[in-house]
Amino acid sequence: MRAVLSRLGFYLIAAWAALTLNFLIPRLMPGDPTTIMAGRLSASASPEAIAALNEAFGKTDAPLHAQYLDYLGNVLTGDLGRSISQYPARVGDVIATGLVWTLGLGGVALVLSFAIGTTLGALAAWRRSGWLDAVLPPVLALSGAFPYFWLAMLGLHLFGFTLGWAPLRHAYCSHLEPTWSLRFALDVVQHAALPALTIIIATVGGWLLGMRNAMLGVLGTEQITLARAKGLSSRRILWAYAARNAILPNLTSFGMAVGFVLGGSLLTEIVFSYPGTGYLLIQAVRTQDYPLMQGLFLTITLAVLAANFLVDLATLALDPRTRPHA
Amino acid sequence: MSTEQQSIWVRNFNPLLPPGRARWPTRAGVYEPLLIWNPLASRWTPWLATDYTWSEDLLRLRFALRPGVKWSDGAPFTADDVVYTLLLLREHPALDLPRLWGFLADVHAIDPLTVELTFQRPYVPGLEDLAHQPVVPRHVWERVPDPMTFANPTPVGTGPFTEVRVFRDQVYELGKNPHYWQPGKPAVPALRMLAYPSNDQANLALIEGDVDWAGNFVPAVERTFVRRDPAHREAWSPLAGNMVLLYANTARPPLDDVRVRQALSMAIDRDRLVDVAMYGMTRPADATGLTDAYADWHDEAAGRAPWMTQDRAAAERLLDEAGCPRGDGGVRHAPDGRPLAFDIEVVGGWSDWVRAAQLIARDLDAIGVRAHLRVYDFGAWMSRLQEGTFSLSVGYSLDGPTPYRFYRWTMASATVQPLGKLAPGNWHRFGDPEADRLLAAFERAATPEAQRELAVALQRRFAATAPAIPLFANPLWGEVTTTRFVGFPGARDPYARLSPHIEPDALLVLTSVRPRDAAPEATY
Repeated sequence: MRAVLSRLGFYLIAAWAALTLNFLIPRLMPGDPTTIMAGRLSASASPEAIAALNEAFGKTDAPLHAQYLDYLGNVLTGDLGRSISQYPARVGDVIATGLVWTLGLGGVALVLSFAIGTTLGALAAWRRSGWLDAVLPPVLALSGAFPYFWLAMLGLHLFGFTLGWAPLRHAYCSHLEPTWSLRFALDVVQHAALPALTIIIATVGGWLLGMRNAMLGVLGTEQITLARAKGLSSRRILWAYAARNAILPNLTSFGMAVGFVLGGSLLTEIVFSYPGTGYLLIQAVRTQDYPLMQGLFLTITLAVLAANFLVDLATLALDPRTRPHA
Repeated sequence: MSTEQQSIWVRNFNPLLPPGRARWPTRAGVYEPLLIWNPLASRWTPWLATDYTWSEDLLRLRFALRPGVKWSDGAPFTADDVVYTLLLLREHPALDLPRLWGFLADVHAIDPLTVELTFQRPYVPGLEDLAHQPVVPRHVWERVPDPMTFANPTPVGTGPFTEVRVFRDQVYELGKNPHYWQPGKPAVPALRMLAYPSNDQANLALIEGDVDWAGNFVPAVERTFVRRDPAHREAWSPLAGNMVLLYANTARPPLDDVRVRQALSMAIDRDRLVDVAMYGMTRPADATGLTDAYADWHDEAAGRAPWMTQDRAAAERLLDEAGCPRGDGGVRHAPDGRPLAFDIEVVGGWSDWVRAAQLIARDLDAIGVRAHLRVYDFGAWMSRLQEGTFSLSVGYSLDGPTPYRFYRWTMASATVQPLGKLAPGNWHRFGDPEADRLLAAFERAATPEAQRELAVALQRRFAATAPAIPLFANPLWGEVTTTRFVGFPGARDPYARLSPHIEPDALLVLTSVRPRDAAPEATY
């Protein structure tokens, strides 16, 4: 229990530091949103209108520390302000529209990729020099080495454009009403299949290699020799002893990867016109939409911290050595 | 339809917010302006107003409103609505982007179909801004607590498409206004907008024939798009938009010397820029800096100024005269001894301009001026322009129905801001007393003849002073597939600009397009 509480304290401090950086970084960027917007109009917005807009968009001349306290207060009450590029929509609402799809696609793809990669990695190491171990690591290392953008474009062109097996864009057919029906669910799955597949192909090699290498280390330890000597079944040794220890590094990477799901699915979203937070983020950066940017960074940061916290808990459960008084 | 590039639609139909917030075509489709300027015909098309008249002293402007116009909820459109809209802008300066209340003194209704505006001073170009202001219904907006934060999810407008039939993450549909004032229009039952986050995805849909009307930049459009079905596809990019210029920061010597700017201009091979960087879709600018949007104003003589033609020997002579001789390694240096070396700034993702800037850099090298391409993110590029921290930058121009706005934002002393202070235009910091005089006279010129005479004088002044270096007109990309709908403007029928991005031209198109035959309702 004490271990859990001390971790929690550490994560709270990390969250505060992230919040502070989140506050500072956008304010160090060049340009301000309103004048940039006026410049983009390629028409002459008057300085008076720009000043009034700045005020409406929440830009203040208040000293930095006052802005900072305001910001912390707002974040704690869940008020992320209004987006500038999608004014007057609330940042929370804008993020919510994308978050569902990003979590759905990215989350499922990550879990699948992790599960497949880790399982295959364990098996490959177990039957070392078997056919699995001979074929999979080099093939997947190669597929993972392709630039993701290229891989996704190739997938879209081949399966979507040429063969017509997969839809070319979007998360569901635009003529369908989103409802809790089987037809709609199938449509969503059909639309997510190809993007998810490209993500899995690009990432599964990493999980596999990580797991395989960790397994090889663990399999050479005396613990496994002892387990064999005790006459435990191979299956039990593989999963309950070797894999349990070997998965720890991969688990840590999994915590990190959650952050990339939220922030890094940008390319998937652009290639497949898939709605989500990645594109919102790049759009927010382009239009200097500080409130939206901060909201997204906050979401990503908190998700990474939460995921790492859960991974820590899992590590505590899996590895007795990490507990203070084992 | 494909206009805005978004991955997710956010429901917003508030026409008073700065452009980009409300979904297309809120400002010209759901809501409508009083008059529409059509640069291809070079005249005002009467819209919600049938006519306008200036008083003798140019201090009062009357709009006669169209009788029989109804809002989409059935209520009549009257002078009260126009007055209310303008007063709303006065009350909320953030909504008054063109700054109408910088020259307006008052507005009132003379009778239900006549609005009278009084001016603080004679300011004829104000008509342009007033005429294009979308009008909102008083009976609805009176009940809106704050028009700034109002997303107007269910709009009530006078335009052809007012009924939001579907609004989801990736698609929305606008149906016909049941009370539209043009009988039998719109002939198209609904507009359907799909979300494409990038140009590539939008182009893919366009090439597949899923999109009827788009305003995307399509590389090699003839080959990739038109040739797949030449009978039903057209790409038409009239040069009636803004001008692309090489801005030279005149607050930084020696760029304040007209001879230096003209020499830089004479180093550039514009034919090659057009062919290589722009796929031959535009043509070299002339010394007036005006595009085809101002064909009726254009002065041939001014356009032929010699500094717009490539002539390396003459350029080198001009630089020698300006006290910038060649030094070690052939690099020229300014009178103060510093080498003539500049960065040419351009937005990283704008590949056509990046290529143009590369070619310009090479051309400048040839006359002994070291030039390097430097790419920036849009925000950084724009703020460097606005603060005047650049030396050379490729940029667009600010435009309006008459050449007044273009010349005001390139030559008027009143628009010059000191370096470091944000300037909404005149990024190159150039002011000319003679141009000031002409612009002031233009503000009081009520007749087309007087305006034209002043416009010609302004063109000659631009050609004489070279405030900025015109490169080529920005093509207004527009593509249509006419398998389902016909009646779009094109090279054969140029009744409006094709690009849906251009408001309020889009209204002219929306009310002209009709189904090819009695085909069932199209799904895209």
